[in-house]
This record gives sequence, C-alpha cells and structure tokens, in this order.
Amino acid sequence: MAQSKTQPKGHAKLRGNIGSWLIMLPGLLLMTFFVWEPLLESIQMSLYRTRNVELENFVGLDNFVSVIGKDDFLQALLNTFSYTLWSLVIGFVLPIFLAMIIGETTRAKGFFRTAVYLPNMLPGLAVIILWSAFFSGSESGVLNILLKRLGVPAQSYLTNSKWVIPIIISIATWKGAGATALIYMAGMAGISPELYEAAAIDGASVWKRVIHITLPAISKLAATLLILQIISVFQIMYEPMVLTKGGPDNASLSLMQLMWQYAFGGAMNYGKASAVAVIVTLILLVMTAIYSYFNRKESDWD
Amino acid sequence: MKKIQHTGVIREYDLHSAPVKLGYAGILLLCALVVVVAVFPLLWVTLAGFKDLKEFLSSTSILPASLSPKPFVNTWKQLAISRNYLNSLFSVAGSVLSALVFNGLLGYGIGILKPKGHGAVKKLIMLSLLMPPTISIVPLFMNIQNIHLGNSFLPLWLSFGANAMYVILFVQFFESLPASIIEASRIDGASRLQAFFRIVLPMSKPICAVVSIFAINAAWSDFLLPYLVLRGPDKQTVMVRLFVFSTEQTVNADALMRSVVFAMVPPIILFFIFQKQLTENTVSVGVKG
Repeated sequence: MAQSKTQPKGHAKLRGNIGSWLIMLPGLLLMTFFVWEPLLESIQMSLYRTRNVELENFVGLDNFVSVIGKDDFLQALLNTFSYTLWSLVIGFVLPIFLAMIIGETTRAKGFFRTAVYLPNMLPGLAVIILWSAFFSGSESGVLNILLKRLGVPAQSYLTNSKWVIPIIISIATWKGAGATALIYMAGMAGISPELYEAAAIDGASVWKRVIHITLPAISKLAATLLILQIISVFQIMYEPMVLTKGGPDNASLSLMQLMWQYAFGGAMNYGKASAVAVIVTLILLVMTAIYSYFNRKESDWD
Repeated sequence: MKKIQHTGVIREYDLHSAPVKLGYAGILLLCALVVVVAVFPLLWVTLAGFKDLKEFLSSTSILPASLSPKPFVNTWKQLAISRNYLNSLFSVAGSVLSALVFNGLLGYGIGILKPKGHGAVKKLIMLSLLMPPTISIVPLFMNIQNIHLGNSFLPLWLSFGANAMYVILFVQFFESLPASIIEASRIDGASRLQAFFRIVLPMSKPICAVVSIFAINAAWSDFLLPYLVLRGPDKQTVMVRLFVFSTEQTVNADALMRSVVFAMVPPIILFFIFQKQLTENTVSVGVKG
C-alpha cells in the first residue's frame, strides 16, 4: 500500500500540523461527543445516584452492589454467555461453510452471492418481527404450517425456555451469515491457485486440499471475525427485547436488555443502567485481552 | 465465449472423477437450498400481507386467498406511514451527508495529511470499532437531553459523523491513493481543504459510494437512538413507528406484517440497485477491517 508523505519540511511543518488538525477537528469533536465521552461518562455515572438526567451524589459501588444483588442479573449474565456460546455453535462455522460451497460454483456464483447477502440489508427490527410470525406457537405460525405438512404436531418455540436463545441466534445468523460468508470468500480468493494445482499434482484429494490449504489460509481471518462476533453477540439487546421481552420468565433476558430496562423501562435509573454497561464493557475488555494474548504474534492491527 | 472454469478447490480435471462430480452436484443443491432459506421469508411476509386478520390467524396456507392490494393500502392509510417515510428520508439524507463530510475529513487527516500525533487518533478509532454504540446509549441520551437537542434530527445526523468504521474505510482508501497527485496539488497552492474537495473527493467516488450505501442502510434501519430522541408521532421515522407499533398491546398481526413489508421495501430497492458494489465492496472492507 502506498504511503503518502505530504508533510512539508522545515518551519512550515508546525503550521501545517495545526492546519491538518483543524481539518480533523469537527470529526474529532463528534467522535468525542458521540463515542468517547459517553463511554467515560458511563463509568462516572455508574458511581453516582442519578435523578432524571442529573447526577445527584457519589455512591461508590452501591449501584453495582444493588444491580448484581438482584436475581435477574445472574440470569441475564448466564443468558448472555449462552447467547455467545450458541452463536459460536450456529453462527461461526456456517459462514465459512457457505463461503466454501459458493466459492466452488461457477456460472451462478454471482447469483448465490447476491442471494445470501440480501438478508443483511434488511432492517434488524423488521427481520425480528418477520421471524416472530415464523416461530409463532399457534397453528398459523409458519413453521407449524410447514411441520404440519410433514405430519409433525404444532410446537411452541419462543415460550420454550430451552429453545428461545438458539432461536434468537438462528434469526441473527440468518441475517448476518451471508455477509460474513462474502468476507471469507474474499479471503479465500487470495489463496494462490498454484497451491491447489501443486497439491492436486501431488495427488491430494479435494477434501485434503480444503483441510491443508483453504482452512489454514483463512485461520487468521477467522480468528479476527470470531472475536468481533463474540463482542457483538455479547451486546445483543433489541432482538430479545422485541421478540420475547426477555421471556419466558427471563429465559432470554440479556445484560444489555437489563441495562435498557433500568434506563428506559420506566424507572429512569441511569446510574444502575450505567453500572450494567460498565460490567459489560469490563467483560468485553477481558475477552479482548485474552484474545490479543493468544493472537499477539500475528496481530496486524495498525 | 470462454468456457467458465472450475477455479476453486475443485479444479477442472477433478470433475473426471465420479465422487467429485457427485460432490459438486451436492454443492449446487446446497447452494440452491441456501437461496431458498434466504429468500423464502421475504416472499412469505409479502404474501402474508395480502391476508386479512382472520385469514392471517387461521389460514394454514402460505398463499393468500386474494391478491388485492387493499390490505396494504388500508394499513398504509391507517398508520399514516407517508409521514414516517418523509421523516425517514429526512433523517437518512442528513445522516449520509454528515457521514461523508465528517468521517471523510477525519479520514483525510489520518490517511493523507498525517499531522504529528495522527497515529494515536487512528489507534483510538480502531479501538472504538470494538465498542459499538449501544453500550453508551444511556450517557449519550443524557448528553443530548442536557444540550436540549431532544426531539430533533440534528443529533441523529451528527451521530453518523462519528462512525469509526466509516473513518477507517476512508483512511484505507486514501492511503491507497497516489501521493504524487495530492502533493502536486499542494505545490499549485491549493489549501488543504481545497485539495480535499477538488482533488481527493473526485478521486474517491468508490469509497464515497460504499459509505453512502452503508449510511443509508444504517440510518434507515436505526431505531434505538431515534426512538429515544424523536418524541411524538410527527417526527417518528418508519423504524421507530414499527418499534412502537410492535410493542403495542392491541396490535393486529396482519397489519404488523404489512408494516414490516413497508420497512423492508426501500432497503431491498437499494440492494438491487447497488448489489454489485455491495457484494464486492463489503468484501474488501471486511478483510481489511
């Protein structure tokens, strides 16, 4: 990649630096207002009792103690890990598999790529509401209609505490897997065809080529996408909020949803909501740190 | 016309073997199945929109009894969605403009001007990628209230000017531009800002297109911050309307499905216009990001 070196030399350099920073200033101000300051402010707010949008008085870790002491916190914490685990089971391998099979097609490749990407363009909220009709437990639920044709009796889905989390993850996967598959396809397109040719000449079967060439080539990309997926699923919120309101009996309540409930669920308890946000941030930081520890040698961030 | 070759893991000569041929047929079959899974729900929701409530709740058929557009027209009028559509358009337009200008200028600074200390900003923005905005939505909402920007589109527009991913996209693109052209413009006496608008932006149509498409889609789909900020039905966007509608106790399931269709139509149109850019460009984004 070409690196541009546009910095003027000598004493004009300082003036140039200032001019450049001025150009970046509006963007930096917006990043500060919308991203960086709120992140820091949530730490501050988590240590205060709040009244409406005002900080009232410093209460130390009281918000944390109170939030963690409630039964729904442990439930939400376990659920959130459950969401993450299910997303690894359902959502991690599928895009790699899709990329592999679509990558092998010839004439219709463009069509397949377009079709799998389509759900990713749809508004997440609309997708959730659409799928709620699929998983409706009544006779008119789309899945139940389809099952009836196969002779299976009507099932309940979203009211079943065992199935509600995998179902929500399946919906999220339906929306996102195709777009992730395209990322993997780009990664696979970077593999030199000569590697496959050479392996074929050496008598390696198609399957062996996948194991020894394709998979190692995308392993680094997969590791990056894995941590991004974990971070994003850990913050799952509106999906259960809209689909199940956290039910049945808090079985699908997520941590971020708990945060939303404290803040906007009527109580307007922004301090406690921030305590939940800080806990989520800390868990994410620990996970990212573990990831970077294992990935430190190959890291190419920057 | 050149024959299309098998250039994946399976090479042309592999197809002489019967098991590989069979496996390839299986792959095609699977791909077809994937397409069905991806598209069927959209087809279903559209067809379901033609059913009235009674039919929607009792019918065990995918196909509606009649294909009269009346239910759609009725729901459109009942919910007065035209107003929401206009609001959404207004919100999307400002968001895209803001996304291009602010993230573009920041990317120009980091990717081309590179003043002393730009590396730290780049690192900070990279880190921000890991923290999607929902996590700090509470203090952000408080800040917006505190500066009395509630019930206005302005904070929604500006929030699109602070998108770490768009900045990184711009940076990556700008770093790949030939430095000589930008340097030449500077020697001609153009100021940095002039160089951006006269030289850099015209060369950056591909990345501007990508950021615009992403921003249009994100601004259209966003509903959490808009729900908190935009109070009252006169400012609600389509997605906020859908969110409020879906939480109402007495919602008619059939009308809800029709509003889902209303919410999906613009992104689908956008998708079919820009499918090539989308399916090709996301790709480069993902690999680098």
